[in-house]
Amino acid sequence: MQPATPLPNSLIVTAAALLLPLLAFGVIMLATRSRHRLSAAISIGAAGLSLLAAVYLLVQHWQMQAPLIFQAVWMVSGQMTIPIGIMLDPISLSMFAVVATISFLVQVYSLGYMAGDPGFGRYYGCMSLFAWAMLTLTVSSSLLQIYIFWELVGLASYLLIGFWFDKFSASEAGKKAFVMTRTGDVAFLLGLVLLWLQLGTLDIPVLTDPAAVGAQLSPGMITLTALLIFGGIVGKSAQFPLLTWLPDAMEGPTPVSALLHSATMVAAGVYLFSRLFGFFSLSPTAMAVCLAIGTISMLLASTMAMVARDIKQVWAYSTISQLGFMLMGLGAGSLFAGAFHLITHAGFKALLFLCAGVFIHHCGTNDMFEIGRQGGRRLKSAVVCTIIGAGALSGLPPLSGFFSKEMILGHLLDSGHPVAFLAAAVGAFLTTYYSFRLIFIILFPRDAGDAPPAESHDGHHHAGGEYSMTTVLWCLAGVTVVLGFFQTPLHDFLARTDTGVQAATPAHHSWLPVAACLLAAVAILQAWFEYGRKKARQIGWVEQIPFLADLFGNRWYLDRLYRYLLDTLVYRGVSRLFTANDRRVIDGALDGLGRSTIGLGRVIDWVHGGMIQYRLMIMVAAVIGLILFIGWGG
Amino acid sequence: MIVPLNHILLLSGLLFSLGMFCTLARRNLIMMLLGIEIMLNAAAVGFVGASLHWQQMEGQAIVIFILAVAATEVSIGLAAILVVYRRTDSVDPDMDAALWEKGGSR
Repeated sequence: MQPATPLPNSLIVTAAALLLPLLAFGVIMLATRSRHRLSAAISIGAAGLSLLAAVYLLVQHWQMQAPLIFQAVWMVSGQMTIPIGIMLDPISLSMFAVVATISFLVQVYSLGYMAGDPGFGRYYGCMSLFAWAMLTLTVSSSLLQIYIFWELVGLASYLLIGFWFDKFSASEAGKKAFVMTRTGDVAFLLGLVLLWLQLGTLDIPVLTDPAAVGAQLSPGMITLTALLIFGGIVGKSAQFPLLTWLPDAMEGPTPVSALLHSATMVAAGVYLFSRLFGFFSLSPTAMAVCLAIGTISMLLASTMAMVARDIKQVWAYSTISQLGFMLMGLGAGSLFAGAFHLITHAGFKALLFLCAGVFIHHCGTNDMFEIGRQGGRRLKSAVVCTIIGAGALSGLPPLSGFFSKEMILGHLLDSGHPVAFLAAAVGAFLTTYYSFRLIFIILFPRDAGDAPPAESHDGHHHAGGEYSMTTVLWCLAGVTVVLGFFQTPLHDFLARTDTGVQAATPAHHSWLPVAACLLAAVAILQAWFEYGRKKARQIGWVEQIPFLADLFGNRWYLDRLYRYLLDTLVYRGVSRLFTANDRRVIDGALDGLGRSTIGLGRVIDWVHGGMIQYRLMIMVAAVIGLILFIGWGG
Repeated sequence: MIVPLNHILLLSGLLFSLGMFCTLARRNLIMMLLGIEIMLNAAAVGFVGASLHWQQMEGQAIVIFILAVAATEVSIGLAAILVVYRRTDSVDPDMDAALWEKGGSR
């Protein structure tokens, strides 16, 4: 694999951007963990330099024609060589920039949010690890390398979700996230092994080259491996049926949720899909499965969000549904629609979570009714930013979400999947509905009169650092507002990605934006009718139907189903077998070993009288016997 | 060669049996060491006889080795016996573990 145009300058910059967070992680964990301000400074400095490097790379390679690949041999074993390298192409560059931006902003925000926490140093160490893993994942040149950093991202998110590990629910949530994503990763690994056996290489440029793959793999094989790899994506991006870990992951600190939901953990799944888009598009079955899974997850998660009371959970469900939306766009055959929505979503979802963090920081509760009652609306900048973010999430013009969402809808319409298009429209409606439900609940609280104003209530939560938090909010809000207008240049940029497939022609449906806006307006009106207006009872139509409320509130009983399966299959089935094996075979063998050792010891004790001459006699007798045997018998 | 090989082997075997008897039967570590020496020399006699019989010098070279080994063995063995005697006031080969322990604690 020769680099297209050798540009060692970019290599140095990229390597520096990758190594700095790792270095920060090492230094913080080894040396400066107990010195909070220094740790934060190191981590933020590393993230800031990475961000600068990312911007430099983006500007430098804005006109790039062919991907830049730098590879070195990492390991040689017999016939196989395992390369490790950096691959810069439009998709990885833009994702690199997104990850660097979001992690930098989130770290700055955390200065305020995490102030005074005893684990402040450890927090920044984990943040650096997270940033390093995700940044390296985005520019990895081979699938194996992606897999390695994929797991590192999982590890970092486990550490951060369970950051307050002395809280039982937090450590449980961390474990759940780890185990559930790992379930998907088993499939991913199997897919990698299969690909390796068939192709002998896992380099992404080879994989996305339809000619090379088509020549060596049968269509069935392509579908199989694509589906296996898709299993990993399902686990990582919290899609159906592995979606229940993400809402529980809210146990972590709010900035962590923001990072996890926008740029790093869950985005890794969708990013991998767009990375391997050329490979997936060789298999129509895999694309159809992707579309179906995306649709199901999107609808399930939106319905769950409609009844949630926890502000972070609402946004968590909406992340699942937006990721499903991206997968729908990708599954419908448009790389740009999915990737663009990934980028815009990273901005506005981080914004929404960080706003939620401000509310939680001030009111000390996650319940949005409670936040409304305690006067959450007095937090002017957080409220305005939430509205901007929710507007983008609902696809209101001129915010960024409008452009990307409309684009996905257009592609779905073009791709000839009317069911998926209708489902997407319903999903968009529900999304707008639950976002504005949340906003109206916070803006127009019932029985708010007796609640004290927020300023006197925030007490010990008010630990300074407000400035850093609001600054970050306004930065992200600005990004959310303007990013949509960069659709055309971004499209030109991303269209140069060498995916091996012809980019689909952009959809042109002049009625579509109007219809989407009308839909959103209806949803907002409904939310207003049920939650906003003076006499509204603040009980949604879903909550008036007990069956649906139960179903949605209990996450479609998915958790119960998993618990039941776990109980019957694992605890009563496999575990019992293992227990029997443990008792009978392993314990039995060890006991037998012990008993026979004791018996043998008795025999030897009898032989071992401590009488040298007796032993000598036996020796002589044995030698004589041996001589006789050899002399006569042999 | 005047003396036939058979006679030398007989002598060697006799010496070996004597040495073995001494080693197995005497209740004294020094005597046992002596018996071992006799057995070694019996083997050396056998080697010399065989070397003369076949007119090859390797056998005599081996005897030199045996002498060296025997000397080493005696020096180490006597030193060991001395230590045993100092610890237990006894040179009885069948001494009890308990006796050894008692002597060791002194």
